[in-house]
Amino acid sequence: MRKYIYSFSAALVLAAGFSSCVKDKYMNPVSQTSISDVNAFDTKTRIDAQVMGIYSALKSGQLYGGRYFIYNDVRAENFLSNDGNRVTARAAWEFSEASGDNEVNNLWAACYTTINRVNIFLEGMKNKGNAVAGADSSRFNAEARFSRALAYYSLLQFYCRPYWDGNGSKPGVPLRLTAITNYGYNNLKRSTVGEVYQQILTDLNYAEQNLLLNNGSTILNITRAHRNAAIALKVRTYLSMQNYPAVITEANKMVSAAAPFVAATGVPHVLSANLVSVYTTYQTTESVFSMPFTTVDPPGTQNQLGFYYMPLGVGGASGIFYLNPSGIIGDASWTATDVRRSSLIITNGGKQWLAKYTNPGPFLDWAPVIRYPEVMLSLAEALVRTTNTVDTRAVALLNAVRNRADAATTFTTANFANSTALTDAILKERNIEFLGEGIRSIDILRLGLDFPAKSIPGFSVAAIPSSSPAYFWPTPSEESRYNTLID
Amino acid sequence: MRKLYLLLMGVVFFAMQANAQRTITGKVTDEKGNPIANASVLVKGSTVGTSTSATGIYTLAVPATAKALIFSSVDMTSQEVLIGSKTTIDVTLKAEDKVMQEVVVVGYGTQKKSDVTGNIATVKGSAIADKPVPSFDAALAGRAAGVQITTANGVLNNPPVFRIRGTNSINLSSYPLIVIDGVVTYTGDNSQTLAASNVLSNINPSDIESMEILKDAAATAIYGSRAANGVVLITTKKGKKGKAKVNYDGWVGFTQPTRMWEVLNAEQYMMIKNEGLSNVGAAPRYLPSYTNDGKLINTNWADVVYRQGVSHSHNLNVAGANENTSYFFSIGYTNQQGMIKKNDFDRKTIRFNVDHKVNNWMTVGLNSSYANELNEAALNSGSLPGAAFASGGIGRLALTLPPNIGVYLNNGTYNISGNAVGKMNNIETPTFWNPQPILDQNYSNTENNRIVGNAYIQIKPTKDITFRTSYGVDYLNTDNKNFYSKIQGDGFANSGTAFSTLSKDKRWTLTSTLQYDKTFGSHSVNLLLGTEQQRSTFEGFGLTRQTLSDDFFTVIQGGFNTPLTAGLGLGENYLASKFGRINYDFKKKYFISGSVRNDGYSAFAAGKKFGNFYSYSGGWDLSRENFWSRGLSKVLNSFKLRASYGKVGNISGIGNFSSFSFFSSGLYNGGASLAFSQAGNPDLTWETSKKSDIGFTFALFNSLISGEFAYYKNNIDGLLLSVPNSPSTGMPNSVLKNVGSMYNKGVEITLNSTPVKGKHFTWNTSLNISNNTNKVTALAPGVPFITTATSLETPSITKAGYSVGMLYVVETRGVDAATGRRIFVRADGAEILYNHQAPVASRWTYRSNGQVAPAINPGVDQKIWRNTAPKYFGGFDNSFKIDNFEVSALLTYQFDFYVYNGTRASVLDQRFWNSTTEVLTRWQKPGDVTKIPRLVYADNVSNGSAQPISENAQKGDFVKLRSLTLAYNLPTSLTSKAGLSSMRFYLSGQNLAMITKYQGPDPEVSSNGNGNTNQGIDRNTVGNALTVTVGLNVGF
Repeated sequence: MRKYIYSFSAALVLAAGFSSCVKDKYMNPVSQTSISDVNAFDTKTRIDAQVMGIYSALKSGQLYGGRYFIYNDVRAENFLSNDGNRVTARAAWEFSEASGDNEVNNLWAACYTTINRVNIFLEGMKNKGNAVAGADSSRFNAEARFSRALAYYSLLQFYCRPYWDGNGSKPGVPLRLTAITNYGYNNLKRSTVGEVYQQILTDLNYAEQNLLLNNGSTILNITRAHRNAAIALKVRTYLSMQNYPAVITEANKMVSAAAPFVAATGVPHVLSANLVSVYTTYQTTESVFSMPFTTVDPPGTQNQLGFYYMPLGVGGASGIFYLNPSGIIGDASWTATDVRRSSLIITNGGKQWLAKYTNPGPFLDWAPVIRYPEVMLSLAEALVRTTNTVDTRAVALLNAVRNRADAATTFTTANFANSTALTDAILKERNIEFLGEGIRSIDILRLGLDFPAKSIPGFSVAAIPSSSPAYFWPTPSEESRYNTLID
Repeated sequence: MRKLYLLLMGVVFFAMQANAQRTITGKVTDEKGNPIANASVLVKGSTVGTSTSATGIYTLAVPATAKALIFSSVDMTSQEVLIGSKTTIDVTLKAEDKVMQEVVVVGYGTQKKSDVTGNIATVKGSAIADKPVPSFDAALAGRAAGVQITTANGVLNNPPVFRIRGTNSINLSSYPLIVIDGVVTYTGDNSQTLAASNVLSNINPSDIESMEILKDAAATAIYGSRAANGVVLITTKKGKKGKAKVNYDGWVGFTQPTRMWEVLNAEQYMMIKNEGLSNVGAAPRYLPSYTNDGKLINTNWADVVYRQGVSHSHNLNVAGANENTSYFFSIGYTNQQGMIKKNDFDRKTIRFNVDHKVNNWMTVGLNSSYANELNEAALNSGSLPGAAFASGGIGRLALTLPPNIGVYLNNGTYNISGNAVGKMNNIETPTFWNPQPILDQNYSNTENNRIVGNAYIQIKPTKDITFRTSYGVDYLNTDNKNFYSKIQGDGFANSGTAFSTLSKDKRWTLTSTLQYDKTFGSHSVNLLLGTEQQRSTFEGFGLTRQTLSDDFFTVIQGGFNTPLTAGLGLGENYLASKFGRINYDFKKKYFISGSVRNDGYSAFAAGKKFGNFYSYSGGWDLSRENFWSRGLSKVLNSFKLRASYGKVGNISGIGNFSSFSFFSSGLYNGGASLAFSQAGNPDLTWETSKKSDIGFTFALFNSLISGEFAYYKNNIDGLLLSVPNSPSTGMPNSVLKNVGSMYNKGVEITLNSTPVKGKHFTWNTSLNISNNTNKVTALAPGVPFITTATSLETPSITKAGYSVGMLYVVETRGVDAATGRRIFVRADGAEILYNHQAPVASRWTYRSNGQVAPAINPGVDQKIWRNTAPKYFGGFDNSFKIDNFEVSALLTYQFDFYVYNGTRASVLDQRFWNSTTEVLTRWQKPGDVTKIPRLVYADNVSNGSAQPISENAQKGDFVKLRSLTLAYNLPTSLTSKAGLSSMRFYLSGQNLAMITKYQGPDPEVSSNGNGNTNQGIDRNTVGNALTVTVGLNVGF
């Protein structure tokens, strides 16, 4: 009898342990939190979400979510450092960016993350998505290419000589145009500046032809590219290439011949009557393209515009840069009643601060990438430069921008002795209008101006002439390490 | 035989009937005739017993039923003597042949130590039980050859860097597999707060009976795919036969920082900082501030964040066993304060182990434990992985905050200005946080609740066959709670932040084994077959809330404006295995053994999920050969050779879905976005190690000296490497690929001896020395090297031909005596000088001709500099018994390695940061020969803040007095009067002294925790603590 018990027990233990087979379900788990690459283009919803994913790459705090603007602005003369911390743009401000600095590496990486998302998207659309998205596919492709153009344009403003130097023949950046979804693609040499600009224009031309004229709602017209956004970016691109006739051609597509200047086709851009609302409600008629933020989708720590520019302690800001009294705010012709001075600059602790981004932490102010007045002033400048005259339409465009903020000041052609005086006034207007919006440095670069000297107590930064190696940033060390063809 | 036994029993029975009540006396001596004191004399099968006096004499009244006496003493072989009609029983106990008798725990079983052909080191639980550390792993340093433990910093309950025979992986974990009572456990730091939380601290160290460290393939291959980093088997205590024993041990002590950097006081600070200004022609910007009563403010910021912490620990256990049931029940409580203020550890544990023999063929049992553990912090230590440059990292703040400003203003409020400490009378604005309000207002706590249970049933249908099935569960719930006040620090920018996450780790393990043990004459065979399944799941979620609606709220449930998600995670993995092992020996002279395991792991690519691992080994006990006994045995009384080879794997650290490519969702403009987020490797499979080991164990001069020697080589091929991408590829991640190879080879020597063993004085000594050479032999094709960052800087490189994680720095050659500038060396060998005073474009000049040189480019000019892995390491343990006193000291050492002393860059930075007194030796005039360049205001390049420089790579060699204990055992004569079986007092110190030339507090630190490729970095890390405890041990 005992033998039977033994046998039975042994069999039971065996049955419990040994015979319990491998569970297939456990051995081949499927992710419940991510979508397989195989299925990423299966539905139009997913494709649309991927376009949003491309915009969200642009919106990275390292790029148009904040730091792209900040680096651009603090390299120029209008801001002074209030904080020696290298990780919050101090090095950019004092032109000591080294190849190993995180800022140099991170901005580069953020641009290329955007570019690769675009390339993956374009390839996926070609293989499957175009058929799924149907009529919307060309618009989606156009949004992607608009974003790629913006990313390449941004790279050129930091890592390369300006276009005028050798007419685009200087080293540009690696031109990545194919999807990379695995390792093994580290090496690619730089294309020339001209080749990169050409690619930007190719993308923007495609975008112009295929984007919707109007995305259907104000918020979508500001947060997603539409035809006029592509045109506006083309204006900026041609301006950087000093191709003024092309600037005029493009700008004329969205600026009427005479005041009030409006975009006749597409999204009817026009200067917003209330300038301050541009920075408070964000969704105005002049906002061509902006980066939106929400409480659940903030710019991220140490990237937020307000965090840098608002005074220390105000709304959780860090007061990292204040306005240089010798910069544009020192300009006597910029009147005290100008809304841009009276409402968008504040004084705190004896220093003046930019108050365009006043939303307290988590700093959800939208970041304006392109505004209509930029197109107007670019057009004005190009008109003057191509005609070499005190162009009346240029003066009208200048006045339109000035009067909106400062009704008391109106320029007439008589105010300008020659065309140079007018271009200087237009440049000054750009400097005032886009203070803290990432335009000043690209103006300096495209014209080959010196980055002016600036100083804070105990420390000064010498002027950086266009011949200086510090005029643009070094190749990121991470790129040098792994891309053997880069330099 | 059986009949004879019965007959004998009958005689005894008869004798006992005749002598219903009597007293037996006698003397217990050793082989040399010396009396043995405190030897136990026990009536077999009862709890009646006594112990011998100092002269070895005993007297015991035995009950009528007594049949035999059992004599035992520490280190002696027990002896059983039938009482018969005797009234005087003298006994000579033989010294235990420890090596022969010791049983060691091996994978899925136990083996006699003398039969083992693998390399296994045993550390007794008693060696670590009363050490004031939260977890056992931290106490293993220096205890066994080949085991390198580096306590990474002075943060409580931070997992140590734990390596067995070197760093055995590059991208996966190099942490050993930890098995507790047969069940593989979780390891690592599971905290999502500023507190560290080593999950192994859930095991109460005083519940541990022994720790076996399995090193070679023969010992580890039974764990197959998880064995590459070695395996540590933890066995918890069981009840021992006899009446219930109650044991209490407790200690109380203090802990404090030691060997701190010496920083400038307020006057020195102002002098030095203003000199940097005057050197550039600027007016002083560092000016004195005074207290209300006119005294110069001189703040030692270390006093603000560090403290002398008080800790105590209490353990109570009850254990016992009878013929059928053994049990061990314990409760433990410890509350430990770290050397950082508000860094506390509080743990409550309960354990219940029981084994019950149901009948003569069935045994059931249970090992179970519950732990509740709270890890608390308020300040960021700046010392945990990724935190080296944290804004609030006190490793840096305590050194670099200006001493000439106050913690508080003179009106008693915090000295703060925005999110920074206030400058008071200084003109220069400091941008660092004031840690005081953070310390007062914030909390960042991780609470673990863990239940581990493992039940088994064991059936022996015949004498030789054992079936065993066990089912274990391991549930770990982790609750992370953070609150950051808006006054200062992390909560400032968002007007107060609270975030909490909850995570649940759950695992079950089902193991079944069949064991067959048989001896046929001179042949012994031991066969093991088994299957095992282990499934682990993880789920986490949480909430971040920002912008306090009212200062009243300090909990996440209070009023806040912004809700964000936090800590979302969902994971699962599954391991299904079959394994087997065979051991065979002939006359205990020749041993062969083989093991094999087939593992299937869910994380690998389809079609690549299963792998086979194996080992074979052999041993030869020469001292049992006839030729040996002819003379050699007089000197070398034991000598056993062994060798093993095998293939094992590593899966620790592979993502559950690493073989897949994914798109993940995000947000844009309030809507959903989707983007390529993971490039997977569809061929992902095992990282394998081929381990060979050859060695011998020996005993000299009648076991006066015993020891072990081993040579090993571990070839890791199919190394899973994250293939780095150039950033312009825009890849979201680097892909794990089976490329690359690396080896570790080395020698281990262990020597044990009891040079003096006497009645009043005994000296035990043990020394272990390990040498390890690590070399990477291949990385991924097209990847010349891998650099690894420590947060914001990149001082580490891994390249074929070098050991993993070499220091990677720009070479500097001191200070140019003529100009006082730091001499940097470019990749092309040119010496260039740096002058922060010059305009940016002309700061770098050639030393040879003074002409402007291109700036140092770290990507080009950094060089592979020095090794960070110590080539030699080990421990030296000595204990002395002088009558009832015991003194024991453990020295640990590591030699021939370098540490990147990044903290030295911080303390020589020429911004507003305070410096160490070393800065006083700065260059001041041409001809000065010094290590410190001319002071230039705001210079952060010459010191190494901008890029790592060789000036800060320092030799880390050290010898440390890891622990020193003085103990007193109350004489039995006294304890027995008090009704106690033993009582012991002790005074113990940890980390009391160190010999090193390293400039920081401690070369034995790691800014990157258990990282493989970024070891040996000391970047703003808080040093290790010094701890002194007094303890009491009482047995009833």
